[in-house]
Amino acid sequence: MKISWFHLMPYRFLPKDFEDKYRSVWVDVPSHLFEADKAHQLYNEYLDELEFADEVGFDGICVNEHHNNAYGIMPSPNITAATLTRRTSNAAIIVLGNSLALYNPPLRVAEEFAMLDCISGGRLVAGFPVGTSMDTNFAYGLTPATLREKYYEAHDLVMKAWTEPEPFAFNGKYNQVRYANIWPRPLQQPHPPVWIPGGGSVETWEWTSRMNYVYCYLSYSGYKRGIQVMDGFWKEMDRLGVDDNPYRAGFLQLVCVSETDEKAKEEYAEHVEYFYKKCLHVYEGFADAPGYRTIRTLKAGAVAQLGAAANQKRQSMTWDDFVEQGYVIAGSPKTVIENLRKAVEGLRVGHLMVLLQIGSMPKDLTMKNTELFATEVFPEVKGMWDEYEDYWWPEPMEQREVAGAASAGD
Amino acid sequence: MTKQDSVTLNIGGIEAAVATKGSGAPLVYLHGAFGYQGWHPFLDKLAENFTVYAPLHPGFGENSAVDDIDDILDLTLYHYDLLDALNLDAPAVVGHFLGAMIAAEMAALRPGSVGKLALAAPAGVWLDDTPGADYYATPMDEMRGILFADPESAAAKALLPEPADDLERGTQIIERVRSLATVGKFLWPIPDKGIKKRLGRITAPTLIIVGGEDKIVPPAYAGEFASRISGANTQTLADAGHMMMLEQPDQFAAAVTDFLQS
Repeated sequence: MKISWFHLMPYRFLPKDFEDKYRSVWVDVPSHLFEADKAHQLYNEYLDELEFADEVGFDGICVNEHHNNAYGIMPSPNITAATLTRRTSNAAIIVLGNSLALYNPPLRVAEEFAMLDCISGGRLVAGFPVGTSMDTNFAYGLTPATLREKYYEAHDLVMKAWTEPEPFAFNGKYNQVRYANIWPRPLQQPHPPVWIPGGGSVETWEWTSRMNYVYCYLSYSGYKRGIQVMDGFWKEMDRLGVDDNPYRAGFLQLVCVSETDEKAKEEYAEHVEYFYKKCLHVYEGFADAPGYRTIRTLKAGAVAQLGAAANQKRQSMTWDDFVEQGYVIAGSPKTVIENLRKAVEGLRVGHLMVLLQIGSMPKDLTMKNTELFATEVFPEVKGMWDEYEDYWWPEPMEQREVAGAASAGD
Repeated sequence: MTKQDSVTLNIGGIEAAVATKGSGAPLVYLHGAFGYQGWHPFLDKLAENFTVYAPLHPGFGENSAVDDIDDILDLTLYHYDLLDALNLDAPAVVGHFLGAMIAAEMAALRPGSVGKLALAAPAGVWLDDTPGADYYATPMDEMRGILFADPESAAAKALLPEPADDLERGTQIIERVRSLATVGKFLWPIPDKGIKKRLGRITAPTLIIVGGEDKIVPPAYAGEFASRISGANTQTLADAGHMMMLEQPDQFAAAVTDFLQS
């Protein structure tokens, strides 16, 4: 199994009464709440944490893209990833990713990902999310009804730019380029592995399997609910005649490790509650612009993780509920190992992503969580799925340059 | 009262359901964004003096699609084809919101294609200081509050009844998503798609009808349209919100009838 360390980069300093005073953490959360001097500290501590995850042996480190929000202050994951290419040496750099339809032209993504792949010596995983409705429709003004069509077109252009060695013309509905011809090209051939984060829509499952990409279910409701969704995913793979290699799938799980179960509650409860009550406090009207989901997905009953009902439910939940219902896997290493095994087996995921910095969690506690996970938990679960081949993992160069000591070639 | 008839036309591959009723000079009604199910009761009043044609916009019906109509130009051309298919030469056109924007585009792009023009709460212009309610971001339960001057009125509850169960609620949500997703193709995220430059080309006699308490297209917008259309008049309806033709059907029908018969 591959285990990667995922950072959302939440803004840790929202006022105590934030969720009572403001209607949303996303889209119209006023930016006067953002204190840049605190953000200087935050970005640097968060980058330290990601670099530490590489040091202690996580297989990958993950970053992502969001806009107009205090949930994750990373509008450009490529900037984060760029610093990591120079300060880490082994971990895969998993950018989950660039919301393709937001880039004009999306060739920019093809170029920047190719740069990251070259600088890192082929450690890049290229993630292409559609992006949330908050990010794409409300923050960036994209038309909901045509977002997916624009996304798919952007994907086709990026792929062609990566794989076509001669200049070509691209006559799309949303992008017209007379001379598509990117420099640089990605180091991994024919292109870096592609992972698609999604929220459980059937159309995305069909598409990722057809393209032979990894499907990542990014849920904050934890593995117990995740298993229901992933059951649907694997049934759909079966229906489509696709094999059941667990490395076709990824899943994000919140984890809190401490010496004992009681101590985990004592140390982590307030930060987990900050995450669920503040970071996910999204106004219902922004959760799902009309047209963002297809009628087919709506009719299939895809339940939004965000919005009034979900919000209300979370506001009344406490640490014990979050742990009991599997939103968070928490406790002593023994407890965490036991539940994590259950989760990974039930979900059938080969690419596990763990969120170890959660909500308002400060650096020392994040480091502790990361270190305990790496030393106590990691060795006990990493052997899972060893009988399967991971065809969706980066293949870096054997001999790679090191920051500050690039070899003096010809 | 007799029910309206319905014809289905094929307009360039798109099925257009058109309700018709009445006798007299032709009047085309182009509906707005919210809760339109193929006919509004106030159209019965207009049918006493006119032959009313009320098409359902592409993308609004259960099985209709709007995939091949990308922008307001496509949508305007589609409506010229619709008038041709109905054998209507320069009919009066009455539009509400998106429908009013289409009507104004038709009258601007091809002056002479529209006889008289009545624009109720027209979309197409943006005022930074008066943005109006964001109907895309308004949850289902709060929609009545932005659509009506009196959200507790019988008209408001008839349009958006309290759902009796989850199934009914789901049906309302899907209807809302379908129609607003379609509207969003032409008006997202800000409805200004350049009509300001074209309004000056309109030669048809024009009436702008304002709901005095419209929260979606606040009354200030009427001036923007009136100042750009030569000779346009404005009439404000009292105790009327965005869905003025449901909330004040008599006032609305009278305003349209008086204007068209003058």
